[in-house]
Amino acid sequence: MAELILNIAAIFMAIAIVLASLRLILGPSIADRAVAFDSLTIISISLIVLISLFSNRVIFLDVAMVYAILSFTGVIAIARYMEGGL
Amino acid sequence: MTDVFIIVLGLVMIVFAILALYLKDLVASVIAAGVLSLFASILYLIMQAPDVAMTEAAIGAGLLTMIFLLAIKKTKQIEDPND
Repeated sequence: MAELILNIAAIFMAIAIVLASLRLILGPSIADRAVAFDSLTIISISLIVLISLFSNRVIFLDVAMVYAILSFTGVIAIARYMEGGL
Repeated sequence: MTDVFIIVLGLVMIVFAILALYLKDLVASVIAAGVLSLFASILYLIMQAPDVAMTEAAIGAGLLTMIFLLAIKKTKQIEDPND
């Protein structure tokens, strides 16, 4: 039962990655691409947690935590650049 | 399951690498390179190397985007086809 739910979650995550990647490829302005990048980071953090559940290794959760702490600085840098403050 | 996932992630990484090369807007190109390193980090994680994945996440997503944006700020944003 739990395996079935994990597989369904993996399929939904693949669909989400495809949709966010399409917005990043097609997006006409930089703001579209920045928002798509941010949502791709969030999706990949949840994907890392899902991989940790699949392979039963707790140390992958540390990678997800470090990624969640550090990855928002890229989006912050893009936003500061668009504002003109960087 | 794992082999299919590795192949799909590799194909997506190739798409974003080509995108980072061919986009004319340099900030969009930097964003594409950031997504490339993001998927590379997930790929290292699937291949059972969490320490390499952590380093790739710290350098690729955080540091590299900032340094490239500082360099673009010092020069110009749109690539000139005559250069």
